[in-house]
Amino acid sequence: MEKPIQEERKAFLTGNEVVAWAALVAGAEFMYGYPITPQNEIMHYWTRLAPRYKRGFLQTEDELSAGFTTIGGVMGGKKAFTATAGPGNTLMQEPLSMAEMMRLPVVVVVQQRGGPSTATVIYSQQEVTLTTMGGNGEGLRIVYSTSSHQELFDYTIKAFNTAWRYRFPTFVLGDGYQAKMREPLTLYDPEARGVAMVGTEPFVGKEGVPGIERPPAQHRNTFSLEEELYEKVKTDAGDYEKIAPSVAEYSSKYTEDADLVILSHGVVFRAVAEAVGSLREHGFKVGFFRPVTLRPMPVGPAREMAQKAKKILIAESALGQLARLFKEAAFGAQAEIHTLFKPGMGITAEEVEEKARELLQ
Amino acid sequence: MGKTVKIVLAGEGGQGVQSVAQIIAEAADEEGKQVLYIPNFGVEQRGGVSVAYVQIGDGPIGSPKFEKGDIVVALSDRAVQRTGRYVGPKTAFLYDSSIPVEKGDLPGDAGEILPIPAIDTAKKELHPRVFNILILGAVLGATGVVPVDRARLAIEKKLGYKFEKDPKLRDLNFRAMDRGMELVKKMAGQRNGDTPSLFANNKQII
Repeated sequence: MEKPIQEERKAFLTGNEVVAWAALVAGAEFMYGYPITPQNEIMHYWTRLAPRYKRGFLQTEDELSAGFTTIGGVMGGKKAFTATAGPGNTLMQEPLSMAEMMRLPVVVVVQQRGGPSTATVIYSQQEVTLTTMGGNGEGLRIVYSTSSHQELFDYTIKAFNTAWRYRFPTFVLGDGYQAKMREPLTLYDPEARGVAMVGTEPFVGKEGVPGIERPPAQHRNTFSLEEELYEKVKTDAGDYEKIAPSVAEYSSKYTEDADLVILSHGVVFRAVAEAVGSLREHGFKVGFFRPVTLRPMPVGPAREMAQKAKKILIAESALGQLARLFKEAAFGAQAEIHTLFKPGMGITAEEVEEKARELLQ
Repeated sequence: MGKTVKIVLAGEGGQGVQSVAQIIAEAADEEGKQVLYIPNFGVEQRGGVSVAYVQIGDGPIGSPKFEKGDIVVALSDRAVQRTGRYVGPKTAFLYDSSIPVEKGDLPGDAGEILPIPAIDTAKKELHPRVFNILILGAVLGATGVVPVDRARLAIEKKLGYKFEKDPKLRDLNFRAMDRGMELVKKMAGQRNGDTPSLFANNKQII
């Protein structure tokens, strides 16, 4: 198959275009989707690019169907993905819960919009709880929260590998700002950079007689006995716990001597990084901690940071969804916790800096 | 360029503020700058005020939206109302002088207020269609965020297919950009003597 990107090149794109390119170079074969702002252009660009590289697209009747058809594609051995946002993400939790139960490597890109319900089509970080823990299960999924177009590209590629390597549903959590803004990034072919793409295989329709020529496959989401279900969930949770430390990612800076550590994720991290840079220039002992994976959380490093820091400021465009994840990870630590919660609103570097100065006085 | 230059452009749907923002952003990207451009969107996009936020700098750009712009451009009365919140003591506030504004409508604490006869000039000297390119010239004239040549290339890239059909349009657009630069310099000069104060702390400008 012809490679979509032969040589690395600079590009100036919207986040939605970036996702389409990333899925393409990651070797995604099929996208299933239903339109919802602010992720529509992922579908638009995908449908424009897909025929050139012999990839497929199906527009379904709603997000339930988009989720289930993605499951179908994956079970047929195709590298398949979907994208959604807001109320679409809510609906999609039903099929994604099934994917969790059946350990299916579906990849989902979420561009968060305001909530609850229809709310705004613009922006928020209010789909953290839904994306990390949605469905009637235990949240056995992997969620990357990106903060720049380069990361959106890198982690969309990575999501396919993580999903197919570990067989847990994998999410790239962006937002309306990241979807719509334009900024420069470098597009590349992962294999040209030495990133091997994990291969796919069908879950059903394999050759050979099951039980004789190959192990039988059993893919179910229904169980008759509570003992049976208990064993299944415990096994999956055990697998998840085992991989969590190697999947978890974070970045932090200046936390060693910090009087105040500012915690954030996603696009808000940009404001925090800028504020911390400016505060350091003015002699304030401030650092930042940013989980890249919201599920699993980087529990060890988060706890260690919270044990050392005097004060922690949690900044997010939601009413404490990141804070809940963090508090669970850092349970028992002594740091004072302060918050800058702006549900459905952007957070600027200036506000973060002002709040930090208040806390340091 | 030391600090990041923050630009807000606002007008009625159809006035072409997003095109202007896109041309500036593309030109800055080609120039090797760090750039972040985000349009406002949502329900208000349909028939409402269209706002574009552009940031250009050498270092990494922070959040997509910001508190105060270095330059804020408003092209309609509603846009004047809408963008007041982005204006502070260090902001140059440009608006079209044909907008009927009461004194209280204009942002009180702006570093500089520059009425530019963009709509009139485009209509009388050029063509109403190149009004937005004239605004582009005014923004470049006021900030110097991208060299004129680079802006010409970006215009060529965006509108080249139209210039192919009608080469006169190329000249018309480039003249509009030059005229916009002249207007803003003249206006700033009138108010502040030769060197406009709003650019005084930004050495590379004008």
